Amino acid sequence: MFQRRQFLMSSAAGAAAAISAFKASAKGLAFDVEPRGTTGILERLPRLDLESAQDFMTGYRVFINGPLNRAAIARAESILKANGLTAETPMSMADTIKLMAPDPEMMLYIHNWENTQRAMWATVQHEAHKNADAYTEEMDRAMKAGPGTIELDARLEPPAYTKHEIHIQPGGYVGDPFAGYIYLHGQNVVFTGGNFQDKAQVSLAGAVPTPASGKVRRVLEQGCSIGQLTMALKLRFPEAEVWGDDVAAPMLRYGQVLAVDRGIDVHFVQQLSEKSKFPNNHFDIVTNNLVFHEVTTEGARGIIAEAFRTLRPGGVFYPIDLFTGSPKPKTAYQQFKAWQDYRWNAEIWRMEYTALDMPEEMRKVGFIVNEKGPPARGGTDRNIMGTKPA
Amino acid sequence: MADAKSAGANSGPKTYTTDFIKADTDRAVFLGNALLDDMMTALIALGSETWAVRRRAKITEMLFEKNGKISREMVEQYMPTPEEERQLTTERDDFIRNIYGHFARNGEDVVALNSLDPKSKK
Repeated sequence: MFQRRQFLMSSAAGAAAAISAFKASAKGLAFDVEPRGTTGILERLPRLDLESAQDFMTGYRVFINGPLNRAAIARAESILKANGLTAETPMSMADTIKLMAPDPEMMLYIHNWENTQRAMWATVQHEAHKNADAYTEEMDRAMKAGPGTIELDARLEPPAYTKHEIHIQPGGYVGDPFAGYIYLHGQNVVFTGGNFQDKAQVSLAGAVPTPASGKVRRVLEQGCSIGQLTMALKLRFPEAEVWGDDVAAPMLRYGQVLAVDRGIDVHFVQQLSEKSKFPNNHFDIVTNNLVFHEVTTEGARGIIAEAFRTLRPGGVFYPIDLFTGSPKPKTAYQQFKAWQDYRWNAEIWRMEYTALDMPEEMRKVGFIVNEKGPPARGGTDRNIMGTKPA
Repeated sequence: MADAKSAGANSGPKTYTTDFIKADTDRAVFLGNALLDDMMTALIALGSETWAVRRRAKITEMLFEKNGKISREMVEQYMPTPEEERQLTTERDDFIRNIYGHFARNGEDVVALNSLDPKSKK
């Protein structure tokens, strides 16, 4: 947890020296904090040992996703067999947990996963707080720089549902000033090293369908966090005005650092996606990525309604999330993994989202719904999309 | 439970943060005994520390081979070539599998502790 006391823990002289050391090796922008340079667009972690710690956690994730996952699947099948069930038998989460939770091998899987999840956040958070002054100055100065813009709303009180430590990220998105920095480098572990160049977001931006008219003048990413997809959308639609909104100022502030550093002209605004400042009939495309499973049912309905209100007639809504292009969990192992995510990864609103009938909610506000729109991710042939009637 | 770190909206121009609701995952005991959980956590942390030392040593060797002389700054700043990166990743994955691969053994395929006959396959 960030506290002002910790923030000022280092002496003024020490802080000044740290900033100087960072700045001395900074390249490009005068205020850019990247003491070890970049790998493509990714700023390398500031110390070799920190990079190695994250590299270890990345490797450990590879191990968890491979051999340990296979062992857990085998064990789950044995448990099911012993209870006269098969791996394909549909099961509720409650029934699954009754069978799986008492088993040490199943819990070993979760504990290993949880360990890496906590460590990948903690190492980066510790580093950011040790160099708090330098990273704060970087964000402060980026807020005044372009080519894009950032608007923060000091009067906005984030609703309680947004304040959870989702993904067990310490402080969540709203409670740590370096949430964006922590998120980016932790997320790189989750992607097992495969997303250093925002490849995933570039791919998602490429999948976003355009309105039938072909005109794309304004694009919005709702709940944009650090704006990786927002920036990728700008690369796909260079002539368009591209916006990203989010409730979490620390995430947006770091998004602005990335956008300024990369010279990408996007606009960030702190607001609730379900209560935006944008006028009616404004955007050609509204999209979002992994937002709905992080919000309440009420929030989800508000976000869908706001997408409809702010899209122009003929505009396209393209939400990307769990189940927007793939089925909901049914079998015991799928339920086990869903439980792991919901209960132990602090995905507080995942079950509400799972119960949500997304196509129906989209139809209710007026969208023409296509449940077989172009796929956003690999491993599926579809993704839901909505069109505002012309 | 909300952490009472700050009250009200964005609590100040310096941090742009607000209070948050802490997750309880770190208070869970997964392996039936908190000591076991803690030992597992320590074991993984030890692996991380060991890998960091080993990776530093490998990078130092790479630099030494190339330049014949090295400094701490050169080690810190060194950017492995794609080929070296592949070598390091392979070595890392072997390192992890050698130490932690035991966790992935199939618990079904165990020998009963009360079996008397070492020739028995059951």
